[in-house]
Amino acid sequence: MRGWIAVDYSRVIEPGINKNEVQGKGAEKGRWITAACWHNCGGRCLNKVYVVNGAVLRQKTDDTHPDSPDNPQQRACARGRALRQQVFGPDRLKYPMKRKHWQPGGGQRELRGRDQWVRISWEEALDLVAGEIERIKKSYGNEAILAWGPEIARTLNLYGGHVAAWGSTSWGTWLDTGARFGVKDGYHADFINDRLDLRNSRLIVMWGANPAWSSGGNPTYNYLQAKRAGAKFIFIDPLYTDSIRVLGDEWIPIRPATDHALALGIAYTLVTEDDPQANPLIDWDFLNRCTIGFDERHMPPGADPRDNFKDYVLGTYDGQPKSPKWAAEICGVDPQRIRLLAREIGSTRRAALLTGWAPARVNNADSWPQMFMTLGCMTGHIGQPGRMTGLSVHYRAGNGGPPLVIPGSTGVEPIPNPLGHMRINHNELWDAVLTGRYTAGKDDKRQANIRLIYHGYHSRLNQLAGLNKGIEAHRKVEFVAAQNYVLSTNARYADIVLPVTTQWERPGALLIGNREILVFASQVVEPLYEARDDLWIAAEIGKRLGLDPSLIAPISLEQQIFNQVAGSVVMKEDGSGHEKLVTITPQDIAELGVAGEPQEGRITYKDFKEKGIYQVSRRPGDKLGHIAFEDYRKAPEQHPLNTESGRFEIYCRTIAEHVQACGWSSIAPIPKYIRYQEGYEDTFAKWPGREKGDFPLQLYTIHYPRRAHSCLDNAPWLREAFPQELYMNPSDAGERGIRQGDIVKITSRHGVVIRPVYLTERIMPGAVCLGEGAWVEPDEDENLDRAGSTNVLNGAIPTGQGHTGWNSCNVQVAKYDKPLKPDYQWPSRIIF
Amino acid sequence: MVQMGFCFDMRSCIGCKACQVACKDKNCLGTGVFFRKVQTFEGGKFPRPWFYHLSLACNHCQRPACMESCPVDALQKRTEDGLVLLDKEKCIGCGSCVGACPYGAMEYLDEEGKAGKCDLCEQLTSKGEEPACAAACVMRSLTYGPLDVLRHSGGNLADVKGMPNSSETGPSLVIIPSREVS
Repeated sequence: MRGWIAVDYSRVIEPGINKNEVQGKGAEKGRWITAACWHNCGGRCLNKVYVVNGAVLRQKTDDTHPDSPDNPQQRACARGRALRQQVFGPDRLKYPMKRKHWQPGGGQRELRGRDQWVRISWEEALDLVAGEIERIKKSYGNEAILAWGPEIARTLNLYGGHVAAWGSTSWGTWLDTGARFGVKDGYHADFINDRLDLRNSRLIVMWGANPAWSSGGNPTYNYLQAKRAGAKFIFIDPLYTDSIRVLGDEWIPIRPATDHALALGIAYTLVTEDDPQANPLIDWDFLNRCTIGFDERHMPPGADPRDNFKDYVLGTYDGQPKSPKWAAEICGVDPQRIRLLAREIGSTRRAALLTGWAPARVNNADSWPQMFMTLGCMTGHIGQPGRMTGLSVHYRAGNGGPPLVIPGSTGVEPIPNPLGHMRINHNELWDAVLTGRYTAGKDDKRQANIRLIYHGYHSRLNQLAGLNKGIEAHRKVEFVAAQNYVLSTNARYADIVLPVTTQWERPGALLIGNREILVFASQVVEPLYEARDDLWIAAEIGKRLGLDPSLIAPISLEQQIFNQVAGSVVMKEDGSGHEKLVTITPQDIAELGVAGEPQEGRITYKDFKEKGIYQVSRRPGDKLGHIAFEDYRKAPEQHPLNTESGRFEIYCRTIAEHVQACGWSSIAPIPKYIRYQEGYEDTFAKWPGREKGDFPLQLYTIHYPRRAHSCLDNAPWLREAFPQELYMNPSDAGERGIRQGDIVKITSRHGVVIRPVYLTERIMPGAVCLGEGAWVEPDEDENLDRAGSTNVLNGAIPTGQGHTGWNSCNVQVAKYDKPLKPDYQWPSRIIF
Repeated sequence: MVQMGFCFDMRSCIGCKACQVACKDKNCLGTGVFFRKVQTFEGGKFPRPWFYHLSLACNHCQRPACMESCPVDALQKRTEDGLVLLDKEKCIGCGSCVGACPYGAMEYLDEEGKAGKCDLCEQLTSKGEEPACAAACVMRSLTYGPLDVLRHSGGNLADVKGMPNSSETGPSLVIIPSREVS
């Protein structure tokens, strides 16, 4: 924390603004402006700010229409309500700056992250950054430049290209396997029914999903309507969460990263207890018509009939029935409870089987999505009212179906990356910098020679697993540049930092969210201090590299927003297709000073801008609902899925081939149980004798309400509300001499953090839980992180399809004997 | 005279603290000071734990303990809507009220050297708007209105485990209890 000023900035409203103005007479003169909440929390809500003489005095949320369960207001969470602390915090980066000991080529690289900062002019900063890009390209080629950020990528791509990073983050293993066996990834497209149809479900199983914490905005409220309509909720989760308390009728505690075993135990019960006449638990009609691979009679051509799923579950050929007793040993759920759950899912006429991405954010879990969907196929809870199986996540949590309102394109075409073939997986990124090697596919190891890291956007260093190695990698390269609005982890370890504007200082934004809304945010204030927008920076660097800036920034930000508004479409009331959303007059175009054509739409430009949101009105029985796979279920031959066979593939050759081709591990074409790296079994030194090892606890990491990933971690109101504690069961604490409120040291194979502990009977013994996204705060003397940044604990372990397994991590926890102040009392990262 | 108050539905609160932060935003409060605070209570034993949240602010009581304790009459109960309001001009910052309120709803503001409290967003409600906290509630668990109307739909309960006995001060509060306390 050297060089940072220790002041409590929570009382500062905005530079130069007197608190008394908020409630004084001057407050009458202001106006409300829709302000962007642009973070990737998964939700999207309406936030408005009250502006007087160019200063924001306070905030509010959606009051643009009366609130009702069918047409709820888009009310913001605590994070949205704290946005002005983010935008106007005194820790905003005010000027371009360079690291004191930096010199072209490096300059005491080991001081990155702890050096002092020197203010420089924009001219000097841009010259230096462009100079280093040019020098490194000339010395080592474009292969030496590792970068991310859509704006700087344009510049670098025109300049010969850059090395990019790839890998699945939030999605876990759904990203690359979902589409291969017949569904989607949950983010780009979903495959569950809409929220009004959810009210038709009699049973809703929520597996590894905590919408109260992970899905900001209305999803939990929407689920509450399903509960009020009579649905029973069963939750499967290591933690008794807020979602379970409010919605749940039953809680089934489960060990982290063992979901696949439980699912197989359910499948075994369904197979062995099903009797089509006396006790129908399996929907044979659905399995026979709509899937391949379930039994030996429905195998794809060329496959060994013995490799079918049913015989695997029964243990016909491998001698191991996947019975509830077998599953219980791994997942910790009582065998009888597994049987009851299977019977309830199988015998309920209308059930929804929903899951979050969390159980798929596990090392080696490439078969989990297919396993989950197989339960839906077996019980037939797909493609009918009140019946669905799939992901309830992000914008589409509890509300599936195609978007009813869609923004237009900005009109900016991407610039292809000439080095597009050179991509390094997230889990090998820092190793590639340090060792010069990476995996490009099966039996395909290649050389890397990274000399420059450019953080144009994103929060890679803090948000990728293996953070300690990441810091080491940043201290190895010749140059690190970062664009940011605060001294986040990326910026902290850079040589030159360029201050950028937030969305509140730009000409506006169109923001998508749940399928019924489109938010139109306006500019709130002029750019603060010397901050500039990312596209301007990219163009200025391009100029200095001899590139044509008009290719980098071909369309102004104002014109881009206008293009998006003009191109916005909304679903017609009869559900037959989209129509133009916004009416634009010649006068609008003249006033905005943009190029465009007048058009007719549903609402005027001024109304849209003034209200800041368009929300499609819904009512039960309207034509805007959605039943996923309804057509397919009725007539699979006429509506084939986009899979090799055209059906749901319980036997999926392409998944197995894809995982194999990635080069790290392999899976079978049917969803078999795999022992995961750093899963439950790895907490034991010897699994057969059940002898615990050095890391006997299972850590899983959650989306924490204090932040949207790493964004907003600096807001004092949020730090105070959510203290970033380690959740631990008292029984695990007792044997370690840990008491409520103690500071504990959490050690994994990859790093050490300290945190206050929160002892609670709500968490499964053997499991501990910590929120992801805290800004790492290394104590280099003690070689530990004080912030509880989970990527210090999570190792970068490449498996399967190159996703990251944040929920498979073995740790030990011990009492730490020094005090730790509450986070909200920590000094802010104020530099100038 | 109408008595205004809050209604808190314990069953559906998810502890998201949007009300707490919206209150801080409206009243420009720093850390360590709350005009509304969400607190969590829990117990039981795995695998049958229980917990619940309470979101509480000033309850604009019938017999306000803060008012009784104030040596300079800076706290007054307004006739037309029953709000307990603090006159900052009169307040001498002695802190008596902070200790007197059984709900911990009175705060001492270091910066001003005076007390501070929830005024039920009087500035907003007088214009027909909702208080910031109620308008913020994502689960629609927190509402406000005339106490008799709130009681008509929500019942007469105003205390649960973890709260002072409501007979002490007569809080203008309706609590719809959840299964953990009923």
